[in-house]
Amino acid sequence: MRAFILRSVFQRLVLLLIVSIMAHSVIHLAPGEPSAVDPSNPRMKPEDIAKIRAAFHLDDPLYMQYAYWMRDLMSGELKSFKDSQPVLGKIWRRFLNSLPLFLCATLLVWTLAFPVGIQAAIRRGAVYDRTTTVVAYTLISVPGFFLAYLVILWVVNTFGVPVIGLKTFGMEHADPLFRTMDRVWHLVIPSLIFASGGVAVLSRYVRSQMLEVIGHDYVRTARAKGATEDTVIYRHVLRNALLPFVTMFGLLLPGLIGGSVIVEQIFAWPGLGRLGYEAILARDFPVILTLNFIAAVLTLAGTFLSDILYAVVDPRIRTGLQGDA
Amino acid sequence: MNLKRWLLLTPLLLILLLLQSYLWVPTYEKQATGNPDRLVTYVEASSGDAKILNPILNADSVSSQIVSLVFEGLLDLDENLQLRGRLATDWTISETAYLLVSSSNRFPDGTDVTGARLVKRIRAALMQDAFIELASNVRTVDVLPPASETHTIVIQEQDAEGNPVQQTVEVTVDVPERVVFGLRRVDQDFFQRLIPMIGDRYLVHFPYEQYVTFQEPVEPTVKTQVLTQVADRVPVAEHNPVIEFRLRRDVRFHDGHALTARDVKFTYDAIMDPKNLSPRTADFEPIKHVEIIDDHTVRVVYKRLFSPAINAWTMGILPEHLLNAESLDAEMRERNLSDAAREAFGMRDSRFNRDPVGSGLFRFVEWQGDEFIHLQRNEAYWDGPAEYQDYYLRIVPDLLTQEMEFRAGAVDYYGAQPHQVVRYKDDDRYQSFSSLQFVYTYIGYNNRRPLFADPVVRRALGMAMNVEDFVKYILYGEGKRITGPYPPNTQWYDSSVAPLPYDPEAARALLETRGWQLNADGWLEKDGRIFEFTLITNSGNPVRKNILTIAQDAWKKIGVKCNTQYFEWAVFLKDFINTGDFDAVVLGWSMGIDPDLYQLWHSSQAGPQQLNFVGYQNPRADELIVRIRQEYDLDVQRDLTYQLHRLIAEDQPYTFLYSPLATRVLDDKIVLVHRQDDGTESYEKIYPIPSGDISFHFHQWRKLELTPEF
Amino acid sequence: MTEPQETHKASPSPRAHPGAGGEEAFPPSETLWRESWRVFKRDRLAVLGAWVLALLLVTALLGKALTEWVVVFDPAAVRLPEKFLPPLSLASSVDVPPDDRPLGGIYLLGTDELGRDVFARMLQGSFVSLSIGFIAVGIALVIGIVLGGLSGFYGNVKLGVITVDTLIMRLTDVMLCFPTFFLILTVVALLPPSIYNIMVVIGLTGWMGTARFVRAEFLALRKLDFVTAATSIGAPDRRVIFSHMVPNAMAPVLVSATIGVATAILTESGLSFLGFGVQPPYATWGNILADGKGFIFDAPWLFFIPGFAIVIVVLAFNVVGEGLREAINPKLRRR
Repeated sequence: MRAFILRSVFQRLVLLLIVSIMAHSVIHLAPGEPSAVDPSNPRMKPEDIAKIRAAFHLDDPLYMQYAYWMRDLMSGELKSFKDSQPVLGKIWRRFLNSLPLFLCATLLVWTLAFPVGIQAAIRRGAVYDRTTTVVAYTLISVPGFFLAYLVILWVVNTFGVPVIGLKTFGMEHADPLFRTMDRVWHLVIPSLIFASGGVAVLSRYVRSQMLEVIGHDYVRTARAKGATEDTVIYRHVLRNALLPFVTMFGLLLPGLIGGSVIVEQIFAWPGLGRLGYEAILARDFPVILTLNFIAAVLTLAGTFLSDILYAVVDPRIRTGLQGDA
Repeated sequence: MNLKRWLLLTPLLLILLLLQSYLWVPTYEKQATGNPDRLVTYVEASSGDAKILNPILNADSVSSQIVSLVFEGLLDLDENLQLRGRLATDWTISETAYLLVSSSNRFPDGTDVTGARLVKRIRAALMQDAFIELASNVRTVDVLPPASETHTIVIQEQDAEGNPVQQTVEVTVDVPERVVFGLRRVDQDFFQRLIPMIGDRYLVHFPYEQYVTFQEPVEPTVKTQVLTQVADRVPVAEHNPVIEFRLRRDVRFHDGHALTARDVKFTYDAIMDPKNLSPRTADFEPIKHVEIIDDHTVRVVYKRLFSPAINAWTMGILPEHLLNAESLDAEMRERNLSDAAREAFGMRDSRFNRDPVGSGLFRFVEWQGDEFIHLQRNEAYWDGPAEYQDYYLRIVPDLLTQEMEFRAGAVDYYGAQPHQVVRYKDDDRYQSFSSLQFVYTYIGYNNRRPLFADPVVRRALGMAMNVEDFVKYILYGEGKRITGPYPPNTQWYDSSVAPLPYDPEAARALLETRGWQLNADGWLEKDGRIFEFTLITNSGNPVRKNILTIAQDAWKKIGVKCNTQYFEWAVFLKDFINTGDFDAVVLGWSMGIDPDLYQLWHSSQAGPQQLNFVGYQNPRADELIVRIRQEYDLDVQRDLTYQLHRLIAEDQPYTFLYSPLATRVLDDKIVLVHRQDDGTESYEKIYPIPSGDISFHFHQWRKLELTPEF
Repeated sequence: MTEPQETHKASPSPRAHPGAGGEEAFPPSETLWRESWRVFKRDRLAVLGAWVLALLLVTALLGKALTEWVVVFDPAAVRLPEKFLPPLSLASSVDVPPDDRPLGGIYLLGTDELGRDVFARMLQGSFVSLSIGFIAVGIALVIGIVLGGLSGFYGNVKLGVITVDTLIMRLTDVMLCFPTFFLILTVVALLPPSIYNIMVVIGLTGWMGTARFVRAEFLALRKLDFVTAATSIGAPDRRVIFSHMVPNAMAPVLVSATIGVATAILTESGLSFLGFGVQPPYATWGNILADGKGFIFDAPWLFFIPGFAIVIVVLAFNVVGEGLREAINPKLRRR
């Protein structure tokens, strides 16, 4: 087991190196200047632009720029092109903003998907199953921003309450209870939208896992022994169907950065996705690269975690693991 | 079965818990119920975040909006766009003029020129009636003794392969005697007026080679270049406009430290410090030096005539005690920076830029990136505190959700688009405004391309566009047609210039006179080539995108084939505008209030990376542009700008389209508050000042509990 | 909502490949396809989806023909006085010159902020949107099949110190480390905007799943009797691959392609929303929707028509994809 862990950690470090080099080259070879070097600013003379370029090492060869980036990243002194702020501090603050949204959405996904999926599996082919199937596919098929706008329009026009941002402004001196609830409310709509796709996908998966297990012989045996339907479903089937889901916890991690640009943009949520988007617009290379790097770290950590969980849950796999990552 | 129950209950409870929070959130009508502070809190939505809150470093509009509330300049503009004193109570503009005494020259009567003789001659002349007007402007005439100066001159050269090389040359200049004039007003023709006394060759010929000693021998080509540069630095006749500011005595920064002349000089020095990479250096470059006369008097001496230079002093003043070398050192120590980081550390890296301390109407409280910026009123503001207690700038990137927040009462103000404003015009819960701003939109033709070299062709293209319809339907009338290079709300704009008529038939006839004939496919053709070009603009601007589509459609009707494309801003600038590699562009200018158009229209500014990217050239325009920027008399200036406006409208290097109105919607409960001495209040409806700004009286704004009747 | 890409990454399908089970160790034949078709037909939702797709295909081709080759519906004609007319409005004969009037003088789906005919734009957009989906997926499939096939068939060939399989699988891992939508956004934002860039980028970031299961499929197929037989009688690799292995691996590829098109259409609309979508003169459903959202109170049809069109089409692709998946999955079929 230890050898396996060491090996896979090493492999992932190598991957990380390659990922970071690739990301760095792609971004630096693309056209466009960082916005601080914005040549459209009539007040900025070519000499000033040259100075800024030099300060950002933009005229050094690519591998040197990569070395500077890595050095500064590791020493924590990496600065944003846009506002000269330390990149890691910026990312950390945004991470703290993204976290509640991510947690709330994940909680919704994992608590909703199981009952919905299990019921659909039990009533396979019935009206309930077909309805959830259609609803689930529809949720998967709706462009995120279309859904978000529909919901925002409906809520604001019907209930007349604000939904955008982390909180309602102008309430800073109100009662703390009101302010807390206000924050919760602002979390509800984006996380519901954020979660909708996840619930749809996961409940379908739960359903098919359940169906697969229900067909096994031991379930038939349990039924034959006269166990009640609930006992069969919740004790025998569910327990076995749950196994693969344990490993999916690991795969959740990268979702923190990746899948939220559009929702955060619409809801003015100052999270990681928006940080990345704003950085792309401003050509803020250090921020883009570092976010990408962190995403890669999270992905690798996630797959690592899920491999380990898999091995822990199902000892038979342990040997087979090395074949296929 | 327990598990089953839990599986069903958990999500139900979770969702209930989440949804009940709705009951605690205030609706539009109930914003201030139980929360009276909402009435003295102002929330504005902005689609972008600020970048850097430092008046000498910021370059984007959101930052400058916040900076203008937190910091204050020596001057600002009053309701009629005239300068008025803020930190400065008043100021005087005078001039010091220098004339080199050229001993190799002779006076018209043949005598040798010396300093003493020159002064005597001039003084005598000023006594005569013929020079009475000139004499009234001259306060003093003196002679300065000769001096020796060392200059380091950098020469740009090309090596054998055509790469630029720099060569530094050290020279000693033996500056001869100089006559120094103290003038009451700036006079750009002062030396011309002296010609009767000194002869007409005096100003054009000065033998610099006799006064320059080279430290080491150089090649003849280099020598000529050096001499030209010396002539620039030590001109025969030099104008030095001088502005003396007297500062307000009772002003303190938000941390309680008094604001003095030292802070003004520090601000200037910080801008000119190359390490700070200030984008404002161009505005302050004409300054020769800034002197502290006493704690509350500053004298600014300029190198040359440049009338718009005074506008630069509307920029906020930095607190010296928080940003000087010691403070930055202390910050570096506190932050434990590595040596490499210390080496590169400058004002740009300071925490000050995210936690600024100024002397303005509001003091800075908090900035959460991409979320909000919070300011609070400065209770000790010299002109009395603002009515609003808190100011929030919320960052809401999406325009539609900005509107949703506005309707829900969580935003008091947002930059509503024309079609949105139209909806609120009839709603009595809101007040809406449309007013002019300093911007305009145009189609610029690359004047260097043979296709567009002819003004008649450019005029024809302009006549094919129905700008009136565009303003009516796309901008809902929220725009003003323009005819020339100045924003229509400035005094420099000549409203008597008639716009191009919309007449596609006449446009085609004009093109026919230039040899363009309709071919079988319906396109104009000349010498086997059809009239085809590409019109480009930047992405992310819906109105410009619409102009693209409409222009394409309009030109198709007269047989001109126009392809359209748009590019992301950075690419757009780098690959097309800066290189001048484009046919035609849709763009806009956001202008200042000064009449200086040098960077935009002077023929010397048509190189790569420069702003006259359409390559407009007209010697008459060049002359006018230079005269305008050297003129200190407003009436004369206005006369010159009218001439320039007419000239550019004749040449049509752009098809000038329109100046969009700024459209704004506010809650009807927000009013102007006037406080009487006896403590009572009266209210007035908010109105825009002539220049179009509605927030000019922002310090008097407040939200009332009930909608007032006016 | 999770990004579209996540949908099939996060749910590794419970599919086993045909022929891998013990009872079906015969070369799949005509009957297998026929059987799958029978199963597919039973799924009424999927059949409905298939009809929608057929209709869409016809619409897209007609759209191309009628808006570009023979201009019956002109998507570019600007008629400012006729802006924001609701669906089924009649064109006024006063404001609009006869050349610019829509067919039959009626705006089927209304007009937009420039008075352009939304029906014509939707028609034109259907072809562009579909071709983005198909070409992007085509690119992803080609890369995925080639790399997956190489890895599965020639996996053991050594290139210096590492095997082909290791090389390709590590490359796949590297690509999976990038957050997909973020990567697409970065590249599209940095590159000059063009419809081809968008297609290529979506394609280049979407091949990893295909590569992985083509490899798995090939590895499994290689061990099967009919392939070993073909190899042992000295059939050239090319023949073994193209006549025996590729056809058998095609079924799951088809499933992922169908769902891939849906994903690509969603991605394009997301990019349009952020302002990095396809630019004029191409209309796509994504950019009609993104442009229309600003006028949701003034002209709601500009928002709802393209929005629901996207939902229906993407839904159809997803449903058909899932239908196909069930149809070719012997394990599920048994019940």
